Amino acid sequence: MTTRGTGYRAYLRLAMFSCLLSLLLTGNSMAAETSPPAGILVYEPGLAPLFRLSDMDGLTFDLEAARGHWVFVHFWASWCGPCREEMPAIQRLDKILQDDPPEIVLINTAEDEDTIFSFLAELAPELSTYMDRDGSATEAWQPRGLPATYLVDPQGRIRYQALGGRPWDEPDYLDFLRALKN
Amino acid sequence: MQKNRSPNAVVLEIMDYYLRKLILIPYFLLASTPAAEAGSALLKIEFTPRSPEQMAAFYEARGFPRPMIDILKQQCFITVRIHNNGEGVIWAELDNWHFDANGKTLKREHRDYWKRRWEDMQVPLASQSTFRWTLLPEALDYQPGETEGGNIILPRTGSPITLQATFRTGVDKNGPVIRRRYENLRCAEDKK
Repeated sequence: MTTRGTGYRAYLRLAMFSCLLSLLLTGNSMAAETSPPAGILVYEPGLAPLFRLSDMDGLTFDLEAARGHWVFVHFWASWCGPCREEMPAIQRLDKILQDDPPEIVLINTAEDEDTIFSFLAELAPELSTYMDRDGSATEAWQPRGLPATYLVDPQGRIRYQALGGRPWDEPDYLDFLRALKN
Repeated sequence: MQKNRSPNAVVLEIMDYYLRKLILIPYFLLASTPAAEAGSALLKIEFTPRSPEQMAAFYEARGFPRPMIDILKQQCFITVRIHNNGEGVIWAELDNWHFDANGKTLKREHRDYWKRRWEDMQVPLASQSTFRWTLLPEALDYQPGETEGGNIILPRTGSPITLQATFRTGVDKNGPVIRRRYENLRCAEDKK
């Protein structure tokens, strides 16, 4: 009985260890279950630079407080041609995702309210953006260029970066984004 | 930020490198063309000269201080767009770009030069930031399919400009070098 009990406990420990190991492994690779579509770079997970920015209405977004869910961080400026092409697709994406992850966070790089208002009113009136008024958040992130989109995981790590503008509302991109589980 | 490419991408890049080497051998012998030149079809670069009026209008619309605009109007702006149409990484490093006109070197100022200059002038941070994001990066590893662009700034000249540029390739910069020569680039003049 004793011998049998020890063996059983050893078996239980092994089973629990296996479960933990597989949880750890799947936890790390959860986002990679759906391979990224064209133009999405996979990053060695590293902590995203923190920022706390407000929009034109005074609403604030704090990246640190967003831990626990995926965030779509998008840097843009009105003078960037590809931003102009991409923004309507982001508005459609926002509408499709509704409250599902990732949370879409737009960051305008160092432009004034009038410029931002005119741009969004014309191209994506349902979107609002946070304002990196002096450009310091953008500098901290050092995107490859504008536009730049990053996907930050629930642990606050950058996991993916999009190269240039992407057709976010197309099926490949939607499937990929929907596979990002909080 | 450090990227982590998938094993498949790494394998593809290695295959691409060696396949290209194999394909280039007969071409090399027949045409006596450097391998780097042959490989350069993977790289497309577009140049768009901007006139002083265009640049001033752009920066004025973004509230740049007048002294900053006055300095920028004296420069030669060329907007460059680089497309990597290949399967491997191509490095655009502006230190490896050499401009000349009339047989003399045209010194392109590094973005750090402009940073110092704007700081000395106490230009607002927002204008400094926008200015930097409109410049072509000093060094960037263009990923397969990637397009990025920005301005380069040269001293103004009325003469045709020649650019000789080399691009290292591969993640570790140890792939075949691409060499390019562009002639008859011009600074744009204001319309009269």
